[in-house]
Amino acid sequence: MKNFIHHIPTCIDLYEEGNIKGLNLQSLGRYLAEKTGVPFRNQGNIYKRFSEEKLETIAKELARIKVKDPGKRFALGVPLQAEVDYERRRVRSLSWKVFGILYEGVLYQKIVSDLIFEGRLALDRCAILFTNQLFGTWDLDNMRYHARVSLYGFPSLISIVGLVEAPARPKEFYLRKQMGTPIELLEEEYQGRFLDHGDSRMTEVLKGYAMQALLFHLTGNPFCEDRDCRLFNSHWQEEVLRSQMDGQYEFCPRHEAILKELKSRSSSSSLSSSTGEAGVGR
Amino acid sequence: MSEKKPIFTPVSEKEVTRAIVAGFAKQFIEYVESDCLIIGGGPSGLMAGRDIALKGVKTLIVERNNYIGGGFWIGGYLMNKVTVREPGQKILEELGIPYEKAVRGLYVADGPHACSKLIAAACDAGVKFANMTIFDDVVLREGNRVCGAVVNWTPVQALPREITCVDPIALESKFVVDSTGHDACVVKKLEERGILKTVGFGAMWVEQSEDLVVEHTGEAHPGLIVTGMAVATTYGLPRMGPTFGAMLLSGRRGAQVVLEKMKKK
Repeated sequence: MKNFIHHIPTCIDLYEEGNIKGLNLQSLGRYLAEKTGVPFRNQGNIYKRFSEEKLETIAKELARIKVKDPGKRFALGVPLQAEVDYERRRVRSLSWKVFGILYEGVLYQKIVSDLIFEGRLALDRCAILFTNQLFGTWDLDNMRYHARVSLYGFPSLISIVGLVEAPARPKEFYLRKQMGTPIELLEEEYQGRFLDHGDSRMTEVLKGYAMQALLFHLTGNPFCEDRDCRLFNSHWQEEVLRSQMDGQYEFCPRHEAILKELKSRSSSSSLSSSTGEAGVGR
Repeated sequence: MSEKKPIFTPVSEKEVTRAIVAGFAKQFIEYVESDCLIIGGGPSGLMAGRDIALKGVKTLIVERNNYIGGGFWIGGYLMNKVTVREPGQKILEELGIPYEKAVRGLYVADGPHACSKLIAAACDAGVKFANMTIFDDVVLREGNRVCGAVVNWTPVQALPREITCVDPIALESKFVVDSTGHDACVVKKLEERGILKTVGFGAMWVEQSEDLVVEHTGEAHPGLIVTGMAVATTYGLPRMGPTFGAMLLSGRRGAQVVLEKMKKK
């Protein structure tokens, strides 16, 4: 088991971006610390400590990485002034609510990584950003962009909007929507069967995704194949709710043992270098 | 027995013709130069025009159809009920348009009532119209600033070029507003000239596209403000469904931008 965990971070840094209704970062951090023995720091909004000049640069970078056609390979372009203006307003407003633009996930991660690590990747910090924006990655199987819930790496990104929009809702929901039933009526009828924006279950569900980010940091593999384990890579909303809320257990016996081992070792942890591919979760 | 008096005062045909020509010519000559020229008389253009004209700004709306109002007469699937999401109903209230709550956050109004009230509000505010007039090109000045539009009669476009050869005319204005819907005609003309590049609208995502359209409403190029669905085309935002709240709010935002820029000029 000891060989399985490459290194133990000295802290978990939790960041947020925009208004994330339903997420209690403090409660989530306490859960991670309790489960793993690794202390957490609630770093708050990722943009709050930057100067106006730096925010202008960030706005320009973000305006360049919008996926405008999910069916085509991404190419960096020159943004229009209003696109930069939009991003400037977004990063300046710590409680920004508007979303709907799909950003290129890997490039988004690069921008955020530069902000958090400032060019010096520190593997003793497990950094996780919770964002109210949507990002996607290119799927080589069907050659198009897909919105994602998470993109694990340094830092790990978890999209609250992605958690609502990316895992599919019940099939009949889409069929009836296609038949013209107003979405507002469908949302009332199917209430509880999928996560919605501002859902009261959001913090509880996100605890599992944060744990996936930490497992990626520890082992290079964030996922578990057990549908009842919080580390299961869910593709449907009902899978999300089952693995995070209604499973037989919180973690499968194998991962429960890893977490137990981690907790016992975390107080005497030391940094060792490790690199890994970024994991992607729907 | 007294002779029955006619209901209407007798007027000859030539006087009717003179009244039409003189009335049109007087207004047209006056509005060849305006403060704000809005291309497209749909809901966002009407809303922008109404708010701008309310401040005493000389405003002309160019509309390619005979009728004003664009798609605001009908909702989805040719059904004449229009919907707005909160807070769009506040504008319905402001304009005196009756509406009902459909479900939480969604309101429905009669298309003909909503559209006619919006047109009336624009007229009452002082907006003038050039309908059956189609946008043809932009007028550019130093630094490629947009300073007007080249227009023609709409029917001219429907006729074979060989037998028409009707040259267009130009209208000048301090600001031009592109409210031409998904076509984004003015923006596309700048793109044709290599001045601006658009990406076209993305897939439909009603819930989010409304917010994004309002948030991106503004000056796309010096002298050119973009409102309504033309915003989605210009910035590659998700396509909108049959809800009109964003059109009204985008029009209002566009008006604010025009008025702010006029103050600075």
